[in-house]
Amino acid sequence: MTDAPIALLETGPLVDPGTLTELIGWELKPEGLCRDEQCVIVTDRDALEHDGNIDLRVVASLIDRPIAIDDDAGLVALGATRAGRRAALNDLQAPDFTLPDLDGTFHSLADHRSKKKLLVAFSSW
Amino acid sequence: MIAVAIDEATDTIRDFIRDNTDGITYPVLMDSDHLLTELYAISNVPTVVLIDENDTIAQPNWNAYATDTFKDFTGIESAAQLDAIRRWVIDGETLMSPDDARGAVDDLSADEEQARLHFRLAVHLRSTGDTAGAERNFDRACELAPHDWTIRRASLPLRGGDPFGPEFFELLAEFNEAGRPYHGVDHSGHR
Repeated sequence: MTDAPIALLETGPLVDPGTLTELIGWELKPEGLCRDEQCVIVTDRDALEHDGNIDLRVVASLIDRPIAIDDDAGLVALGATRAGRRAALNDLQAPDFTLPDLDGTFHSLADHRSKKKLLVAFSSW
Repeated sequence: MIAVAIDEATDTIRDFIRDNTDGITYPVLMDSDHLLTELYAISNVPTVVLIDENDTIAQPNWNAYATDTFKDFTGIESAAQLDAIRRWVIDGETLMSPDDARGAVDDLSADEEQARLHFRLAVHLRSTGDTAGAERNFDRACELAPHDWTIRRASLPLRGGDPFGPEFFELLAEFNEAGRPYHGVDHSGHR
């Protein structure tokens, strides 16, 4: 997986094609919306693409990711793939993640492959 | 062991670590976006997920606790869970069979999914100083997932409330009234 698991965007749901690829790794091609070797068919290209910009709401629906938009702030949150969470809940495949430690160094679950991992989620609240 | 703080209060977590006298030798990660609550369908903390050498989940998150901090509220002691973790590490023995572990935690509902995104929008807007925008999104998130602790309780300190004050007990009463839901995980079945 080369794409970010989640994305936050301050410019509203319309993005240029370069930003789309940079953000989540997907690219609009003649054959559909593609990432790596995988393509999803786009049946309504007019809904997806307006004046050279791509509508993230349509992208989210095509690639089965949730999206929420705050219109007043022009802020968009694109969630993780539902398929990844379902693979965890139904097929017990632990989704990888990358998060920073307190010094800002990033760690991934995948760094600990071939070891047993106790993942502890906690909070101050 | 990997510890993940489902939290944006970096300084508070830093103090936790500094004050911990056990000597922390494992990574402590910050998840201010609550990414894990979306990826693993987590609705409350503290919780544990046991993941084996092949990145297969041996025990999904549920209301089994590796700490007694909330024992008075949950009625669940940590001893059995801590013992289960030891047995898993040493013998590979698990509390649940893979068949039981599969589907033990229900998927998030569409509302619970949306609540996580609105929470994320709120945290971002709060960090940019847009208090009204943050409140708007915290309100939406709490409406969508009223019994989700990672939404309702986690939002309290970010909105000037007290996660250990009267709001906590109001939330607990609502949660109990609703039958202690954990998106589908039956409380009595997971002791």
